[in-house]
Amino acid sequence: MSALQLSLTSVGGEGFQVTPTLTDFNLRLVFIGSGDMNATGVINEYLKLVHEEALRIGLAQVSCDFKLLTFMNSSCFKSFVVWIDTVKNSEVRYQIVFLTNPALPWQRRSLEALRRLAANLVTIETIA
Amino acid sequence: MTDLDDAPALVSLTLSFRPLANQIGPLRSLLSDLCKPHVADADGLSRLLLAAHELLENIVKYSVGDMAEFHLRLEAKATGLLIRLRTKNRAAPERMADARWRLDALAAAHDPIAHYDELIRESAGRRDVSGLGLARIPAESEMELFYATEQDWLILTAEGNASERVNG
Repeated sequence: MSALQLSLTSVGGEGFQVTPTLTDFNLRLVFIGSGDMNATGVINEYLKLVHEEALRIGLAQVSCDFKLLTFMNSSCFKSFVVWIDTVKNSEVRYQIVFLTNPALPWQRRSLEALRRLAANLVTIETIA
Repeated sequence: MTDLDDAPALVSLTLSFRPLANQIGPLRSLLSDLCKPHVADADGLSRLLLAAHELLENIVKYSVGDMAEFHLRLEAKATGLLIRLRTKNRAAPERMADARWRLDALAAAHDPIAHYDELIRESAGRRDVSGLGLARIPAESEMELFYATEQDWLILTAEGNASERVNG
């Protein structure tokens, strides 16, 4: 397997899915559905794998596409807190970009709290 | 806490049920359908649904016994919509103590967003429970959160405002 071949695969469960794509050194994760109690374990484990993959490949950036993520509960949110904190304390860091849907106002409110956790790592962008 | 029971409601829902995780999504959809015609903007509805979701998850995760209660009341006031959400569930002594500690800290915080940010920083190093759900309600839903206890029953009330949709 070459260094730039992605070992992550799509994961999901009832009403929730994450799909990864790699372009150069940028990983894009597309989240679809509702991040509720059914998704908590999946997201938690997946973000650990994302970090391992980021270190293995030497990623410059991970983008989380939330355009079709209708909701995220506090337990899923906590998984992102742990992930961001892990990157923040890692010797090798990469940028984290959240791509948000302006029609889903909870995203801006929730993700601003993540940005405040690590303003030098996390940026929030709006997608059409 | 505001006494809302003396005026007619646009929406009033009272539910007594045995809480299960897979009921939360459909309940949130029902609340959205009931409230959407009256709430003027997507942000107001989003805040209401976020608070309702976290309160419902709280009773699913932590209630003991067969039954819990959920109440929603949406009332038109001269200043806009008044939203009141309330849950009532029995809690184990250790959970009751933890909830009281968290809720007292929340009530004592002068700035709910700064308090939430502090909880987020503290939770980053823990791999156990989130501990963020209730603090998220004032920080992200801009609703006030109150609690009361009756023996082993925990009663949580969230109150906030939204703009009312003007029809015609």
